[in-house]
Amino acid sequence: MRNSFNNNDIKVEEFEALIKLTAEMAKFLYPYIRQILQSRDDFIRIPKAWSEFKNRYIELISERFNTNSMRVKRLLDPRSNDEAFIKILLTLAFCISDDGFQKLKATLLSY
Amino acid sequence: MLQNKFLFNQSSVTLEIVGLPDYSNNEDEDNISIISQWKLMIIDKPPIEGNIDHLKTIIRAFYCYSNSLLNNEIALFESNLIDIKPENYYSHILLLKSTKPEVKPLSIKIGNSVLADIINCFDQLGSSNKVKNIYSKEFKSLNNKKFLFLLDKKNILNFLLPPLVSICSIFLISTVFIYVYDNNDNRSLSNNKNKLISINHINKIL
Repeated sequence: MRNSFNNNDIKVEEFEALIKLTAEMAKFLYPYIRQILQSRDDFIRIPKAWSEFKNRYIELISERFNTNSMRVKRLLDPRSNDEAFIKILLTLAFCISDDGFQKLKATLLSY
Repeated sequence: MLQNKFLFNQSSVTLEIVGLPDYSNNEDEDNISIISQWKLMIIDKPPIEGNIDHLKTIIRAFYCYSNSLLNNEIALFESNLIDIKPENYYSHILLLKSTKPEVKPLSIKIGNSVLADIINCFDQLGSSNKVKNIYSKEFKSLNNKKFLFLLDKKNILNFLLPPLVSICSIFLISTVFIYVYDNNDNRSLSNNKNKLISINHINKIL
């Protein structure tokens, strides 16, 4: 899916380090993640956070991902990407506990 | 005897645990091993409370439901105390059934943000050193309910149709090839055989 010609396999240690980093960042960013989720829950009243997040995320995907791939096209489709983005945010929101790293790892491995 | 009380907060949700330490195990006075009362308070929603068995069922319900939400399974949890089902992809409905016969089930609608807060409150409770004996073995081996997706008729069709269509198409194509190539192959084989026999004859004569 990435817009890159390098096809290096990631090592187990690197994979775990990335997950730890993501879990720690999710802990730090939880108030923002929650605010975005809440904005989607009550989109009519507070649409700002969700719209800004979605626009920026789509911008990043089209910048760094291979937009010819069908998966990426599906992510960029505004009619169906809400569900995928909510799932990504929920995955991060559920892993902010002390053993959040293990939870995130289990979720990613069973995906 | 004074009871201990702990609060686990996460944004819009507070989980209150009241109970006593287990003095027979020489535990600290500050700990809780015997939970006598608990209350889950969500802002703008009625509080949910009950005994230790109810708490275990509710924790299990939320963990099962959140797992199935993330794993692309049918997000649904049903038990005799609590049902959780999605209304759409950003709101969920909790149906709390009372054990008392006269009391009607209570329906509470929550969003994804509140669901995340509730899960984080339960995570805090699980990792707390002060409250013990909540997480038994049952939470460590949550069943993988991947078979649930077969309950939906659409999914059964989606699951069975592709292999059936592929088997039928392979069968059809192979029968067509049998009719087209069978004779030609036989002819060429018999020709080759005849040639070989004639070469053998010539060799013998020579």
